[in-house]
Amino acid sequence: MTAAEAETTAPTAEWVRIEDLYENPYPIYRRLREESPVAWVPAVGRYLVTSFEACHRIEQDAETFSANEEGSLMKRSMGHSMLRKDDPDHQTDRAAYGPVLRPKAIKETWTAAFEKNAEKYLEEFRAKGPGADLHLGFAAPFAAENLREIMGFRNAAQEDLQRWSQTMIDGTGNYADDPEVWAKAAASSAEVDAAIDELVPVLKAEPDASLLSAVVNAGMPIEAIRANMKMTIGGGLNEPRDVLGTAVWALLSHSDQLAQVLAEPALWATAFEEAVRWVAPIGMYPRQTTREVEIGGATLPAGARLGVVLGAANRDPEQFENPEAFDINREKKPHLAFGGGAHFCAGTWVARTSVAQVALPKLFAGLPGLRLTDRPAREGGWVFRGMLELPVAWN
Amino acid sequence: MPTITYIQPDGAELTLDASPETSVMRAAVNAGVPGIVGECGGQAMCATCHVYVSPNSLEGLPEINDEEDEMLECTSAPRDPERSRLGCQISCGPRASLVVEVPAGQV
Ligand code: HEM
Ligand code: FES
Repeated sequence: MTAAEAETTAPTAEWVRIEDLYENPYPIYRRLREESPVAWVPAVGRYLVTSFEACHRIEQDAETFSANEEGSLMKRSMGHSMLRKDDPDHQTDRAAYGPVLRPKAIKETWTAAFEKNAEKYLEEFRAKGPGADLHLGFAAPFAAENLREIMGFRNAAQEDLQRWSQTMIDGTGNYADDPEVWAKAAASSAEVDAAIDELVPVLKAEPDASLLSAVVNAGMPIEAIRANMKMTIGGGLNEPRDVLGTAVWALLSHSDQLAQVLAEPALWATAFEEAVRWVAPIGMYPRQTTREVEIGGATLPAGARLGVVLGAANRDPEQFENPEAFDINREKKPHLAFGGGAHFCAGTWVARTSVAQVALPKLFAGLPGLRLTDRPAREGGWVFRGMLELPVAWN
Repeated sequence: MPTITYIQPDGAELTLDASPETSVMRAAVNAGVPGIVGECGGQAMCATCHVYVSPNSLEGLPEINDEEDEMLECTSAPRDPERSRLGCQISCGPRASLVVEVPAGQV
């Protein structure tokens, strides 16, 4: 029993197993939320927080619930980025991102890139023929190429970003301390460092619209540039990829809702928002208490490691009626898929624009009669959750 | 202490005491005023703290900067050319009171 366990009044949920969470976390979340929305879960070494109210409170109280977690595997895998800092240090890094990921730059600079990339990868996907996997064949390269351009990695390919992202994320989740996982994460980390080192002098001499140019010319120290770029590679690729797959899968499984969206294009945004609520691409993120605190009916000691389970908060019946259903016609309510407070996702508008405004309408227009196949679609994950495979057919 | 009054779409009013620097968003979120979400914590990034400032309260508010301006293009309820503001970007300042209307939707 750890010190944290000894001083808490939170119950222990011995029955939660990582394999089950990976397979389908939602029945587990439901039971946790009903039994105790804050519970010590030995299998993951954290208190999991599963109610909307408690997750929301944590997001809005960064003094009590610090992002600067001790022994963070993310810090080891990627360095110390803004995502694991508290204000004011966090704010210094975040301010350096400037206007790059904000709506005006998206409209003036990035939307054209999203459109070009959607057309390019749609063309390649169509060439694969019916039966192809939309997850690996379209969603992944589309999200990776968008991110490569926004970040300014002119000396890398989208395939590099996919590899960097996956191996460093695997490091972030390497609780088993597998040396091979660390080796791959370290190799990617070194490749990213080299790519950045090559670009710094170029962007100092000739700034452009990219994120790397913004941080270099804002005078961010090189260690912070490296860590923040790695975090953004890890946090800006899989999430738009996964929500794209989830949205397509959900619409293809609910033909009445798909017909509604096809008849009224303003509903693409609604379908996107419902897809991120229904399957939050970042299902859980960590926080650590800075003092003893009462939350969700339990008392937690200072230093307690928490998992803020957005995937569970987004299906809390106290917040959403019939929460397990995908329903674009539900009452509009705020969800937590993009986090909240100081760390509210910096890429929210990039994701909304690239997926809801560009990719989804182009996919359904460019692949008439789009439908699921006999080979079933598969999804997985809980810390990150999305499609693993999405075979589709078209006319 | 200055006051901020929130008028809901159904006409219901609530008046809160707020220090001169406390934003319209922060005061509302702390008190649980319905219809003001403030998801990004005041970074002009989420557009869920949109309010319509009452005509009598408009004078003397700080100018709308670029970040607020682009975010006001992303609000759920339509933008009013004169009266729309982000609640996280305005506070009472030197005035004794501020009156805002809460839009019908924020998401
Ligand atoms: C649907 C897609 C996305 C979802 C659901 C999502 C979700 C999130 C969440 C939940 C957080 C907060 C995590 C925490 O507090 O620990 C976050 C932070 C962040 N996201 Fe996203 N994200 C998405 C897309 C993107 C994209 C496309 C980018 C980059 C272009 C991006 C960049 C970031 C950055 C830089 C942060 C750190 C913000 C900070 O610490 O202040 N995200 N995201
Ligand atoms: S609180 Fe997010 S824009 Fe005002």
